[in-house]
Amino acid sequence: MRLALPASAGAFLTVALAVPAPCRAQEGTWALTNARIETVTKGVIEHGTIVVRDGLIQTVGADVAPPADARVLDLSGRTVYPGIIDLISTLGLPAAPAPGARGAGGGGAPAPAEATPAGLQPDRMIADEIKPTSADIKSLRDGGITAVLVAPARGAFRGLSALVPLRDSLTEQAVIRSPVAENLGFEGAQGRYPETLLGVIAYERQAFYDAQRQALLLDRYRANPVGVARPAYDEQLGALIPVLKGDLPAFFFAKNENEIRRAVRIGREFGLKLTVVGATEGFRATDALKATGQPVVVSVDFPKPPEVTGWQYRWTERHAPGDSAEADSAARPIIEGNAAALNNAGIRFALSSGGSLRSAEFFANVRKAIKAGLPRDVALEALTIRPAEIAGVAAQLGSIEPGKIANLVVTEGDLLGDSAKVRAVFVDGARYEVVAPPAAPAGRGRGAASGAEPADVGGTWDLSVSTPQGSNQATLTLTQSGASITGQLTSEMGSAAVDNGEVAGNSVSWSTTLTMGGQSMTITFHGDVEGNRMRGSAEIPGMGSASFTAQKRTP
Amino acid sequence: MKNSCQFPGAKLRGVAVALISVVAATSLAAQEPAPFTMPIPPAAHLVAITNAAILTVSHGTIPRGTIVIREGKIAAVGADVTVPAGAQVIDATGRYVMPGIIDEHSHSALEAVNEITNSVTAEVRMADVVKQDMPTIYWQLAGGVTMIHVLHGSANAIGGQNALLKLRWGLPVDSLFFEGAPSSIKFALGENPKESNFQAFQGHPRYPQTRMGVEEVIRDAFTRAVAYRTEWQQYEAARHAVRRGQAEPIPPRRDLKLDALVEIMDGRRLVHSHAYRADEMLMLLRVAHDFGFRVASFEHGLEGYKIADEIAAAGTGASIFADMWGYKLEAYDAIPYNAALLTQRGVKVAINSDDDERARRLYQDAAKTMHFGGVSETDALKMITLNPARMLGIENRVGSIDVGKDADLAIFNGHPFAPASRVEMTLVDGRVFFDRNTAPTLDYLMQQLKEQRQHRGPVAAGRGAQ
Repeated sequence: MRLALPASAGAFLTVALAVPAPCRAQEGTWALTNARIETVTKGVIEHGTIVVRDGLIQTVGADVAPPADARVLDLSGRTVYPGIIDLISTLGLPAAPAPGARGAGGGGAPAPAEATPAGLQPDRMIADEIKPTSADIKSLRDGGITAVLVAPARGAFRGLSALVPLRDSLTEQAVIRSPVAENLGFEGAQGRYPETLLGVIAYERQAFYDAQRQALLLDRYRANPVGVARPAYDEQLGALIPVLKGDLPAFFFAKNENEIRRAVRIGREFGLKLTVVGATEGFRATDALKATGQPVVVSVDFPKPPEVTGWQYRWTERHAPGDSAEADSAARPIIEGNAAALNNAGIRFALSSGGSLRSAEFFANVRKAIKAGLPRDVALEALTIRPAEIAGVAAQLGSIEPGKIANLVVTEGDLLGDSAKVRAVFVDGARYEVVAPPAAPAGRGRGAASGAEPADVGGTWDLSVSTPQGSNQATLTLTQSGASITGQLTSEMGSAAVDNGEVAGNSVSWSTTLTMGGQSMTITFHGDVEGNRMRGSAEIPGMGSASFTAQKRTP
Repeated sequence: MKNSCQFPGAKLRGVAVALISVVAATSLAAQEPAPFTMPIPPAAHLVAITNAAILTVSHGTIPRGTIVIREGKIAAVGADVTVPAGAQVIDATGRYVMPGIIDEHSHSALEAVNEITNSVTAEVRMADVVKQDMPTIYWQLAGGVTMIHVLHGSANAIGGQNALLKLRWGLPVDSLFFEGAPSSIKFALGENPKESNFQAFQGHPRYPQTRMGVEEVIRDAFTRAVAYRTEWQQYEAARHAVRRGQAEPIPPRRDLKLDALVEIMDGRRLVHSHAYRADEMLMLLRVAHDFGFRVASFEHGLEGYKIADEIAAAGTGASIFADMWGYKLEAYDAIPYNAALLTQRGVKVAINSDDDERARRLYQDAAKTMHFGGVSETDALKMITLNPARMLGIENRVGSIDVGKDADLAIFNGHPFAPASRVEMTLVDGRVFFDRNTAPTLDYLMQQLKEQRQHRGPVAAGRGAQ
C-alpha cells in the first residue's frame, strides 16, 4: 500500500516512522502447548500441541510432548488457526507509472515502437518487483494474514502473480510460488490502444489468438526444426501459452455482474482455466461462475447499493417515495450475502480483502458475510485452505498439518467472532508477537476488555505526536458513551472525525481519516489513559507508528 | 454528430418533462420491489389487443380491429378477428397501435462508445459492452421504442461491430440481444475521423487529417483484407490437398480486424456509415463498388438529397435526423426536406435519434417529415419502423403489424403523429415492458433524485466511511 503524501502532510505525519515499531521475528523451534487448535482440514483439537521446526509444522496433536530443544509457549485459553491467505494484494508493488506521453495511432501502420506499458505485459514477473516496507507487512500480519498473492490492480494483462509470506525483510528468496496465475482485467491503457473496455476485450481476444498460433508454431518447430522457419521469439505471447494450455490459471479480475459474464465468455472462448477474482456481484451471476468449473476469489470489499447492477431499476418502478433507507437495508443483506449465495449455489470460493481493505475491515466484513448467512466454518476454510488450493499450494499451506509451512495465527477468542484479538502470528515458523495497545502498567494479557470499567475519556485533549522533526500538536475532542467514543481531531491538517472509537478499561483506540490532495489516509491511534494523561502510538499506513501523549484540559 | 452528446442534466430534464403530464390513477399499492431486480412481465402465450386503430404500416390502417399474439408473435390481425378463448385481453378502445419503433442509430445502454486510439477498429464489438440496467432503456420504451441499433462512435474511419438490442427491460443482459440479427459495422467519414473537432492524442495529430486520408485508410484496410482473404483461401486449398503422412500447413495469423472486413466483402456484415457530405458519400460508394460490397445505410446523410439517385441506385438507405442543421461546418448544407426529397427518389429513409433523449420522441420527429415536404403518413411511419428494419436486414421479423412478425408494439392514446399523443403501453414479443399506469410519478422521481444526491455523498468520499 502506497500513499504519495503531499508535502504539506509532512509536518504532522512524517517519518519517525522510518523506524518501524520494534517487533522482531523470533526464529527457532517452538512447542505451542495447551492450545485450542483449529486445523481446518482435520477438525478441532481442544487441547493440543503444535511443534514447529525449521519453519515447518513438525507435529500436531493432543498428546504431543514438546521436544527438549523447543521453546515452549503455553497457549492456554488461546486458539491457533492456519495463517490467513489473501489472494488479492498489491503489496510492495511500485505505484502505477504516471500516464506516459500519448502515443500515436495510425491508419494501418503499427504504432511506433515504444515500450509496452504496464497493464499490457502478460510476461511481467511480479515476484521480481515486490518491495514492501516492513510496516506494510506488519499491518497486514497483525490482523492474522500470513501470505498474500501479489498482482497489479489494473490492466488488461497484468502479469504473473506471486504468493509471498508476510515476513519481515521479505526478499525474492522467500516467495512461496511464482507464477501463480496470469492476471487479467478490463482497464485500458492511457493514450494508446486499447483505451476503452471495447478495445481491451478485443485486444485480449486477439492476444489469445496470437498465442494460440505461436504455440502451434513452437510445437512444430520443437518437434522437428529441420526445414522449418524459426518462430519469432516473443516473451508476451510466450507467457500466454501455458494459460491457453491450462497449465497456468487465468485470474480474471471482475467485480460486477457484467464484468463477470464478460470474463467468463473470454475464458470459454479460449478454454482457459478461469478463476474470477473479485465477484462482489457474484450473486447476480452464479450461472456464469458455475460454468467456469473453477473456484472463485470473492472480495468482501462490499460495493455500496447504488453501485450494484440493477439499483438503477429503482428509477423506473413506482414505489413509496422516501424509502431510501429501507431500500438500503434491504440491499445490504444481499450485498453482504454474496458469499452465502455462492455457497448455496455450490460454488467453491476463497474470501479476500479485495486488496484495499485494512485487515480489521477485512475481518469485520467477513463477519458481516457470516451474519448474512455464510456458515462460519466455510468462511474459515475460505480464508485458509481454499485460497491455498486456488493458489496451487494446498500441500504447503492452508491448514495445520504436519509437514506444512508453519504459518499460524494465535488468537484470544474466535478469529471470526466479534471480539477476536490476534496475539501472535507465525510466518515460516518465525514468531511475531502482536503488540496490543501499547504497554500498560498492568502488562499484557490482563484481559482489559473483560472486566474493567471503561475509563472516563470524554472532554478536550491536547495531543502531541512525536516525529523526528519535532512534535506536532492537535486538539482532540471526545464524547463518550459507555465503551464507545466519538469526536473530532483538529490539527493544522484540518479537522477530521474520530471513527471506530473504543474504550476498554484504560485502553483507548480510534481512527481518523485525513484527506490530502484527494487521497485519504486512515491513522489508527492506540492509547492508555491514566487520569488526565494519555500516551500511546499512532499507526500510519505505509509509514509505521509514531508515539503520542495527550493531556486532558480541566474544565 | 460524433456520437450521442450528453449534456449534464439532459436526461433528468427529459424525464421530468415526460412525466409532468402524468396524473396516473394510482390504484396500485406502493410496494417495495426486491433490490436490484425489475418485476419481469409474463411471457405472452396468448394476448389479444382489441378495439384498436391499427397502423399496420405494411397494409394500411385498420380503423377498429384486433391483434392476436401467440408466443410473442403476431398470430392474427384484422377488423374481424375473433378473440381466442383464454386470451389475456388488452382493450385498446380509442387507442392507436403501431409497430414498435426501431431506432436505427443509438449509443444507449453502452459502457464504451469510441475506441478512439486507431482509425480502424473493426475488431471491437459493442456486444461486449452492453449495460442492461440503464434507465434510458425504460424511458425509450415510454416513447414506443422497442429496438435499438447500438453503434460504435464516429471517431474512426472504420469503427466497431454494432449490436442490435430489443428493449427487454429488466431481463438479464444476454436476453437483450436480438436473435438472428445480421452482423453490422460502423464506418465514419468527414470531420470526425479526420479530427476536425477533437484530437485522439493530445498534441499528436492522428492519421488521417483530411477526407483524402479517410478514403485512403478505408482502401488500405480493405486492400489488406483482400490479401488476408487470399492467404486464408490458399491455406484452405493447401489443407485440402494434404496427403496422408504430409505435415498440415500452418494457418495464417487470425486477425480479428481483417476478419470483420472480409465479412463485409463477403456480404455477411452490413456497413452503416456516418456521412454528412455528398462528395464523401459518393466516395464510399466508389470504394464499396471497388471492393464488392453494398453500403446498407448512410448515417445522418445530411446532403443525401443532392445525390438521391446515386444513393437509391446503390441500394443504400439513409438514416437521418428530422431537422438538425448548421451545428458544424459539414452540416451547413443540411435541410429539413432531406427525408422528403430522398423518399421521392426512392431511397429508404429512417429517422434516428443518435441520442438517449431524442429517442423518446422519434414519432414526433417522423411526423416532421410530413410538415417538411409532405411525406405521406405511411411513409413517415415507415421511417421509424419498416425502413430501419430493412436497413438492418430484419424486415422479415419486425417493422410492421403482420402475421408472423414479432409482437413489438406501441399503443398510443391518439394518433402517434398528433402533437398531444403519448405512449400508453409498449410491448416487446407481446410482453408489456412499459405501462403508463404503473410508471413512476413525478413525485416519485423527484424523491429518487434527492436520494441519489444523498447517496452520492458517501460514495464520493471514498472507502472506510461505512
